[in-house]
Amino acid sequence: MRIPYYPGCTLKTKADSFETSALAAAARLGVDLVELPRWNCCGAVYSLADDDLIHHVAAVRNLVRVQEMNESGLVEDELRLVTLCSMCFNTLKRSNLRMLENPEDLEKINALMDREDDYLGKVEVVHFLEILREIGFQRIGELVERPLADLRIAPYYGCMLLRPAEAGIDDPEEPSVQEELLSALGAEPVDTPYKKVCCGSYQTVRDPSAVAGLAYDILEHARSAGAEAVVTSCPLCAFNLDSRQREVREEHPSFQEIPVLYFTQLMALALGLGADRCGFHRNYVNPEPLLRHKGLIREEDHG
Amino acid sequence: MAELEYIEGYPAYMHELLQRVHATRDRRKDQVPEAMTPQEQQEVLKLHPDYAPGGKRKISVGPNRGDIAPDAVADLLEAYPLVEHGEIDVSEPDYDVDVLVIGGGLAGTTAAIWANMEGIPADRILLANKLRHGDANSIMAEGGTQAADRDADSLERHYLDSIGGGHFTNKPDVLRGLVEDAPLIMRWLHQLGAMIDRDENGDFVEKWGGGTSIRRLHSCKDYTGLEELRVIRDEFRGREIGCVEHYPAIELLTDAEGRVSGAVLYNLETGEYRVARAKATILATGGFGRLHIRGFPTTNHYGATADGLVLAYRAGAKLRDTDTVQYHPTGAAYPIQIVGYLLTEKLRSSGAQPVNVDGEAFVFPLEPRDVEASAIIRECYVRNRGIDTPSGLRGVWLDTPMIEVKNGRGYTEKAFPGMIRMFNRYDIDMRKNPVLIFPTLHYQNGGVETDPQGHSSVEGLWVAGEVSGGVHGKNRLMGNSTLDTMVYGRRSGISAAEYVRSGAEAGSLTLQHQKAYVEMLRDAGVEPERRSPMILPEYRGKEALARMIDVF
Amino acid sequence: MDNDSTPSEGKRLDLEEIMSRISEASRQVVSGVETEKVKNWVTIHIMGRAYRVPADLTILTAMEYAGYRFVRGVGCRQGFCGACSTLYRREGDYRLQAGLACQTRVEDGMYLVQIPFSPAAKPPYDISELDCDESTLFEFYPELARCVSCNTCTKACPQDIEVMDYVQAAIKGDFEALAEGSFDCIQCGLCAIRCPAEIVQYNVGQLGRRLYGRYGSPEPEHLARRLEEIEAGEFDEGLDRLVAMDREELERLYAEREREKE
Repeated sequence: MRIPYYPGCTLKTKADSFETSALAAAARLGVDLVELPRWNCCGAVYSLADDDLIHHVAAVRNLVRVQEMNESGLVEDELRLVTLCSMCFNTLKRSNLRMLENPEDLEKINALMDREDDYLGKVEVVHFLEILREIGFQRIGELVERPLADLRIAPYYGCMLLRPAEAGIDDPEEPSVQEELLSALGAEPVDTPYKKVCCGSYQTVRDPSAVAGLAYDILEHARSAGAEAVVTSCPLCAFNLDSRQREVREEHPSFQEIPVLYFTQLMALALGLGADRCGFHRNYVNPEPLLRHKGLIREEDHG
Repeated sequence: MAELEYIEGYPAYMHELLQRVHATRDRRKDQVPEAMTPQEQQEVLKLHPDYAPGGKRKISVGPNRGDIAPDAVADLLEAYPLVEHGEIDVSEPDYDVDVLVIGGGLAGTTAAIWANMEGIPADRILLANKLRHGDANSIMAEGGTQAADRDADSLERHYLDSIGGGHFTNKPDVLRGLVEDAPLIMRWLHQLGAMIDRDENGDFVEKWGGGTSIRRLHSCKDYTGLEELRVIRDEFRGREIGCVEHYPAIELLTDAEGRVSGAVLYNLETGEYRVARAKATILATGGFGRLHIRGFPTTNHYGATADGLVLAYRAGAKLRDTDTVQYHPTGAAYPIQIVGYLLTEKLRSSGAQPVNVDGEAFVFPLEPRDVEASAIIRECYVRNRGIDTPSGLRGVWLDTPMIEVKNGRGYTEKAFPGMIRMFNRYDIDMRKNPVLIFPTLHYQNGGVETDPQGHSSVEGLWVAGEVSGGVHGKNRLMGNSTLDTMVYGRRSGISAAEYVRSGAEAGSLTLQHQKAYVEMLRDAGVEPERRSPMILPEYRGKEALARMIDVF
Repeated sequence: MDNDSTPSEGKRLDLEEIMSRISEASRQVVSGVETEKVKNWVTIHIMGRAYRVPADLTILTAMEYAGYRFVRGVGCRQGFCGACSTLYRREGDYRLQAGLACQTRVEDGMYLVQIPFSPAAKPPYDISELDCDESTLFEFYPELARCVSCNTCTKACPQDIEVMDYVQAAIKGDFEALAEGSFDCIQCGLCAIRCPAEIVQYNVGQLGRRLYGRYGSPEPEHLARRLEEIEAGEFDEGLDRLVAMDREELERLYAEREREKE
């Protein structure tokens, strides 16, 4: 399966380990994520303003690239565009929906982009978790070489994968896709009431202490529910929950740090692709002691 | 006359003629004409504009009285100042600095940076530009920069290639400085972040240049001067060194002892003058292509009007090799909009051959520039094997499609993006069809004489780059000019900084040196209307000029 | 072509005559077109005023023909320096075109104005102290984050550079794409003048190329070796000899030097 793939800026810079692990895991599942030969920033935030069409140009331009990949034969009859970053997913998908629902907007954007081919409205934006669901969690379970046995993990969804409902990939109230994945990988999902609470993402530059407060709530609830680590599908949530633990500790001296992992890091580990592919060096709270303790990283893995 | 029919950018008759070039390419691929013997070179050089009779005369005034110079140059040297002693008050400085650099091409910018690196504070340096900072011949250098940094090469070989190309007239100690510092300059460029072409091993890609015996030419695609200048100018700006634009120097200032003490700058937009006082003055004003010597078109930028030669000469500096001019063998000869523009020598070192109207290669493609240019003139005007264009210009083909025959498909686009772009604007695809060439006025070989530190014969005055003379003798080799700008920009910047640090004081500000000079002009009978420096050439339409009146 | 027979090279030639023929052939390039020889004319509007000019000219030479003497808005005259940025519209076309006056042919009905200066701050930095990653670019040019991918910059570029693509490469920290993609930039400023996000693309490209040039590949080993040899004085003796050598000996050495194999 060759599918057009949109990495987004974060996965090319600060969170490149998430991409490395994702591409390795996808390849093991027989999915060839073909990066768009040309792509631009998705716009990072879906613009809610009715009269602010210019901010949708970035997203639509990336959708045109998917058409180009089909025309040039880089992929065959595959109009789905896979994303890993929940933020990019949300932005691209909602812009796409707006174009489909408002042909006048699409017409304007096509006219503005005059040098590009017109966007024909046929592209479908999907998140990598949806591809996993399509492959089937049972099938993924069969490919696991190193089950994440005895590892209790709290899935964290945040906002972008679930809301608004028309853009979500799961039941916005009772999501389960990450639990299903964790179970397939052999881990034990731990439910927490804070899994859908916003991590404070937009405030992270302006008001880090507000973010640290939310991170504290989310992480403390996960720990008190028995989780040893938290998993997320969004690199920005990952950053806020992981790196902000420094501020959390300053505020709450009794707070114990807890590793925050990206779902593809766990996949790469369980699929036996080696610790190197997981890129744990990028994590702020080092998950390796925990994983070593559980026998999931072993001496022979290194060198 | 009927409208001409155009095919692939060429009039139909030229397009038909160029089929002969296609027809012979296969045969010419492995049959390059032999390089000329010294005797053959001497014979063809009789056709060189420097040696052909006419167009030049003896300089009648100043330190080089009796030396030969092109008429256009002699006219400027034998001319009265734009402002004369006593006409304006120059006693109070508007800018008071340690080091004044006049001219912001590669040489001047490099000089300012190195003066700063050698301890002169950024606000004690001023770079004065006639146009914008960087609007200079440097930015148009396409081919490359020589530096003997390959294991197979040596400094001695670089020296020998250069002095032979210069017909053994180069100033030896100055040429030595050029070849000795060349590898250092390559390191400097790399450290500044210049993107010099590399091969798959990370080594510099080094190409042939005309007249060299080994591959030594470093390039940045065909935008070498642009890349070097952009990077060096960015470094200059990062240091926040003083800089004024559209402020040409119209005269040097001297003190009672005849030392240079600064310059009179002129605001091209408002017409005001400004006095810049400096302990050390570095002249880096470039060359003289816009004088259109012997009526030739030029590769040079708009401001290449020999201002520095005039200023230094009046202040008493000695010139040398004023009799020779470099005509680049391959200027564009078609279409009319780009006539005289440079087609880099690297095209020939990559396989392109000059070819006549019959499709025959008639000259070894990499002779020294004066020989190559003369051979093309001979082909066009003695043997009459050239191609006439609709505008009346005559040229020979440069078989550019041969580049991909020799280097593989896609090579031209990678190595010559600028050239392709230039011809594409006129619907000519140089990968597919040859282009038409004729020699074009390119470089001022001689200039103000210096010592190996870039110092002139007048105290307080350093000279760097094209305005200087000696390093190239009577003919410069390809890739030695950008090198010269950086080697002698650096050396003069360092030397000027040392001079300042050694306690040199700023001198008084006068135009006294003009007095004796003007007297000489009067004695020589020079008509009083002739004024210099030229500052900018005149290209306004004749009809418009004829109706111009001055009302305020 | 000349109709007369080719003179034999042995014959004494009037070299001065040849020089004057060359000069005559170049005259309209060097000293302006001769009106009586012009066959085709167009009308252009320079800052709103109509001028009839020869159709063969560029915007730059046409303005000169019309009587303008440039102090600004001109530099190399050959498309390298970026001094002659010009905006224009064609009659009946809503598009605002951008080009270099020295590289753009005049067209009938063209309305134009020059943009000889583009105000753009360039922060000072020392390249030797910077890291080659995207955070350096954002540190000096935080406005990069404002790019909405409208592509106006690309449309304004007279060098046909995909400006938006290299700005996007900067955002995602792809230094090779940034450096190679912006390499042909002549810093004319037209992209920055047109950018709704007020990014100064050419300065971003400049910083990116310098970081890539310096940190993208190490100094070649052969260069380091040569500099060590020079430092050790290995060429001193040879150069001393050459500098002191008389012309005859130099000529002999020059004639005898071996050419490296192609």
